[in-house]
Amino acid sequence: MSVSAASPRRLKAQPVGVLLPLALVVLAILVAFTLVPGLIAPHNPIALAMSDRLKPPSLLHPFGTDEGGRDVFSRVVFGARYSLGVAIAIVFVSALFGVLYGALSGMAGGRLDNLMMRIVDLFFGFPALVLALAIAASMGRGLGSVALSLSLIWWPGYARLVRGEVLRLRERPHVEAARALGVSRFVILLRHIIPFVVQEVNVRITTDIGYALVAVTALSFLGLGANSPTPEWGLLIRDSRPYFGSAWWYLVFPGAMIMMTATASSIIGDALASRRPG
Amino acid sequence: MALLELDNVAKVFAQRSGKSEVHAVAGVSLQVGKGETIGLVGESGCGKSTLARIALKLIDPTSGRVRFDGLDISDFSGRRMLPVRRRLQAIFQDPLASLNARMTIEEILREPFDAHRVRLGPQLGARIRELLGFVGLENVDIRKLPGQFSGGQLQRIAIARALGLEPEIIVADEPTSALDPSIQAQIVNLLLEIQRRRGISYLIISHDLDVIGHVADRIAVMYLGVIIEEGPTAGIIGQPLHPYTQALLSAAPTLAARRRRGWRRIVLTGDPPNPADVPPGCRFHPRCQLAENICRTIRPPLRPVGGGGRMVACHLAPDQTEARGVAVARARRSGSA
Amino acid sequence: MIVSVRDLTIGFRGDDRDLVAVDRISFDVEEGETFVIIGESGSGKSLTGMSIAGLQPRIAFVSGSILFKNREALNQPDAELRRIRGAEIGLIYQDPLGSLNPVWPVGNQIAETLTAHGLARPAAAMERAIEMLDRVHIPDPARVAAAYPHEISGGMRQRAMIAMALAASPSLLIADEPTTALDVTIKAQILELLAEVKREMSLTVILITHDMGVVAEIADRILVMYAGRIAEIGSADEIMLHPSHPYTAALMTSAMISETPAKQELNAIVGGIPGLDALPSGCRFHPRCPRAKADCVTAEPRRREFGAVEVACFHPIVAEAVAPARTGRGAS
Repeated sequence: MSVSAASPRRLKAQPVGVLLPLALVVLAILVAFTLVPGLIAPHNPIALAMSDRLKPPSLLHPFGTDEGGRDVFSRVVFGARYSLGVAIAIVFVSALFGVLYGALSGMAGGRLDNLMMRIVDLFFGFPALVLALAIAASMGRGLGSVALSLSLIWWPGYARLVRGEVLRLRERPHVEAARALGVSRFVILLRHIIPFVVQEVNVRITTDIGYALVAVTALSFLGLGANSPTPEWGLLIRDSRPYFGSAWWYLVFPGAMIMMTATASSIIGDALASRRPG
Repeated sequence: MALLELDNVAKVFAQRSGKSEVHAVAGVSLQVGKGETIGLVGESGCGKSTLARIALKLIDPTSGRVRFDGLDISDFSGRRMLPVRRRLQAIFQDPLASLNARMTIEEILREPFDAHRVRLGPQLGARIRELLGFVGLENVDIRKLPGQFSGGQLQRIAIARALGLEPEIIVADEPTSALDPSIQAQIVNLLLEIQRRRGISYLIISHDLDVIGHVADRIAVMYLGVIIEEGPTAGIIGQPLHPYTQALLSAAPTLAARRRRGWRRIVLTGDPPNPADVPPGCRFHPRCQLAENICRTIRPPLRPVGGGGRMVACHLAPDQTEARGVAVARARRSGSA
Repeated sequence: MIVSVRDLTIGFRGDDRDLVAVDRISFDVEEGETFVIIGESGSGKSLTGMSIAGLQPRIAFVSGSILFKNREALNQPDAELRRIRGAEIGLIYQDPLGSLNPVWPVGNQIAETLTAHGLARPAAAMERAIEMLDRVHIPDPARVAAAYPHEISGGMRQRAMIAMALAASPSLLIADEPTTALDVTIKAQILELLAEVKREMSLTVILITHDMGVVAEIADRILVMYAGRIAEIGSADEIMLHPSHPYTAALMTSAMISETPAKQELNAIVGGIPGLDALPSGCRFHPRCPRAKADCVTAEPRRREFGAVEVACFHPIVAEAVAPARTGRGAS
């Protein structure tokens, strides 16, 4: 089959949907919440105001108030840096370690690769909740122990992904050509393999942030994560439990925030995935 | 002394779960002298690509030795191979795939110098321009990426890359197969010109007998892991002695011959070669119209025939095959039955 | 005439402008002939051939007219196209491994073609499938019918694809580079098989290729395409003996490597095939043409009769015998 790289450039792809712009808007909002919560939140997220407890949504309190009279909207805004922040930290740390580990394993090949992957299997088999409980028991509850346990659960996924990609890319003609030139293994990894892996990893990172967020909030909900009065979203939901029937806003708005963020991360991840060449 | 020598090289691949081993290369000896072009021709399953990779030390042979300019490089690892690689370069079949799509042309052409720690300093740019000039691409924008060039241009860039370190021998694995016919001719001309100017040796691997016949000094025909015929090009094309070579030539006649419809070509029956299931005796016997009992049981060695450096691995050659060979060569040219 | 193409245009919508890959081409295919469309990458030959069966890419826009057996076949509803394909038009492709379903045994896929077009009941369909495999000279057809595509060799896969294309007894076979990916000994067998089934089943064959050797061997009439336009069209004998368009002549000399003395410089044309976004003005071949003059740059040469063929060129090659000579001097 003849090679012709001179094909028409930039053919019109499928029309851009409405979801991606929405997801990007959500992303922008979250960035704002994380970076400058003080400018956005109208009220103090921590100060108690018992006279205002459990007020329904109003102009003054768009998301209503909680059992301490605190503005739920302000708590949600400030909570972003805890919930989302920790989720992002987890994903980035896991990805960093997992990518390095997987790349090394894939390049090493042979017995070392086997050994390294068996270790990955070990971690894969570990139930997240048990690990989280164990770490919480020894380190004490808090976002720190949640971050640690989730990172330990998350990194093997990246290791396996990258190792698979590295193995695949090693057989590629351009890598073979580089070897024939005399390029060292290290440079081959850095220049001829990693750039092609990065795209896959980026896609996963983006979608993983959503999953990690759900995991962090879930652990907080179970009481293993953030402690009061931190306005972490999972904790908000936990605290809203006694008031499910009467103060619906206390549950709904933080919950919606979690859902929107996770969905946005998934949509953006999908968009990145579909922009991959071939 | 040969520049590149493969001495009874073999490569066996193990397969998973109890399937039989794959004998991709089963005892091949080949020499490429200075300024010489050796053409290795064969169809799929013959092991020529594996042999190319062994010659380039991209994979290690299971047995046999590989020598470069007299030096035994069979056990050389990455670092020790470096000075050898400077003199032994490669071009591959798919030019777009053999270049890193994310590197600019400048970075691609610079890479060999970096890899061999050749510091050109301010001369680098001029040297890159010079290399591109050799391949007829003096005016390209070196900041572009491979995806912005055509197949023919990319193969020229790949050739320029291979020339950077002034190698003495280039191993070309199907250098024209992925290109359009009108571009193939350009690349063949380019390879010939480079050889004329610089005295580079080539080991060219291809399934295209026309290209090999045009550029090679000597041809080796490979079938199912072994060389079954070898000799000067004119001899092989003019009087093929091995029945497989005859079938190969008969299947690729000249344009003139094809136009004369109704001429007969040698038809190969039986299953195509499978290196995981090698027949006993002569490897070609299940598909050979001339096969006799001896062919089914005893593997014919590659032995000299006549003078002039011709070798054949066939029990029946030359006596029972030479007339057929002459007839095939003639029919191929003129199309008469 | 079994196929009649008029002003066929196929293109893609780019960001700022449309990219036209096939530019208003017209031709007829007579019933019972072997019509070969020859061209290199970017010529539009595959798009043209595939559009006859309604298989151009979904993102392409198509205009013009394609009459198949006097019925309009262009831009028809999917259901109608599916009916025509298989039953009246058979298709074979370059890469059988890519176009055969990897998770179904070969025989089942052929049988499915039959049942889908209502030509056989499921019980009988498998038998007919094995018959078809035998017809294309596959040894041990029952075993191959039960095998998966990756379990059989490339040549056998191509034969199986031919069997599948012919199972429903179509009247037209469109073959897109059917021998390009095959070994040379298998190529030869497949070409002979195509000639044989064409005779036996009274088919019309439209074959798309870049290989002049294929043309020489089986073509009755040829259409030479370059960069989306017709360069030359006429009987194969005539064109091969006296190529009129400089591009046709260049393709012929490219195919005559074995007729050039060893190590001698080949008669290659300079330059490369233009990309769709950088098409030359006037005659698209002019930047590479040794015969180009001023008028070639500014105006598009219209197709006209020239001797026994039709050619789109302002300065076609006048026929002296340009046949490949045994001494190997290439055509000018």
